[in-house]
Amino acid sequence: MIKSILTCAALIGATSASAQDWRFEEGSNARSWNLFAESNATFTGTVVDITCELTGDCAANCGDGARQLGILRHSDNVLVNVQKNDQALFSGGATDLLPFCGQDVDVDGLLLTDDSVGAINMYLVQFIRPTQTEEWTAAKAWTDAWEAAHPDWAGSGRWYRRAGNILAHLQTTGYFGLGLERDEEIKAELYD
Amino acid sequence: MKHLALATALMSSLPLAPAVAATEGQRITVTGEFIDTWCYFSGVMGGPETVVGSAHHTCAMWCSAGGIPVGLLAPDGTIYMVLKIEGDDNNAGGDTLLSLASHTVTADGIFYERDGLNYIVVEEIVEDMGITNLNHTDFGIVPGFAIPPGER
Repeated sequence: MIKSILTCAALIGATSASAQDWRFEEGSNARSWNLFAESNATFTGTVVDITCELTGDCAANCGDGARQLGILRHSDNVLVNVQKNDQALFSGGATDLLPFCGQDVDVDGLLLTDDSVGAINMYLVQFIRPTQTEEWTAAKAWTDAWEAAHPDWAGSGRWYRRAGNILAHLQTTGYFGLGLERDEEIKAELYD
Repeated sequence: MKHLALATALMSSLPLAPAVAATEGQRITVTGEFIDTWCYFSGVMGGPETVVGSAHHTCAMWCSAGGIPVGLLAPDGTIYMVLKIEGDDNNAGGDTLLSLASHTVTADGIFYERDGLNYIVVEEIVEDMGITNLNHTDFGIVPGFAIPPGER
């Protein structure tokens, strides 16, 4: 009960502090994720390697998927940080943007703006296309790319239940990261 | 001290220059927790205090491995988006960041600011304190399905 109250209070507080950015809404066909800080946004920009853009340390092909990518928005030169693709599977946006490294693209998705947590110029990308083309690509490539890159972790169920790198940590430090013995104690407290 | 360093860094940021050395960085030492920034910024799983610490450790690993940006959350609420960790530039799913999920560290590095967001190149983890935010006592595990039913 206490947890629920605290969570609801936090959500109400965040909602009241949110100040969504609706400047790029016109023409957007993005679908809502029902996030309190979201606003539809479609704009044109250049796909860039964020580390390169900020530090001058640039890797070939935007880091080949190892680096976070962003979109340097043409209308105001703002570097938009792409946090998410359009899969509700704990997946980022770099894989979907990588084929467009250095290219000018149109994107459609959701901007996140919430003063209470410092969210600004953050983006969930849903569709991408090279500028002056017609056909959009859905930003849902992450899981296929992950499966192709990790054939040894193939199987049924969600990727995050099969990922060897995650399982290795869980088998060592447990779900709460505090060690297996403490993990068992906490689970007993929560579920017994 | 952190506020002073941040203020100094913010005052010293320079406008973009294309190609190389885009932004002037400033040295900074910051203590904070490595967090999953999507859940924190989006509120998709609840308020910010629920998506950090031991309660959210498993999800933080999922997001880190999934290529969602990792941030370093300072006690004053400032979040530094992590660009590198001790020379490792794999900030979109790399194992270094995965191994540090939810850990509180003191980090020395270079701070950048761009368009309202803070970024850091961590040059050295001065101290790794492990997971110190034991908020599972308040929130259990977030999300609830992080522990499969058969392992509860």
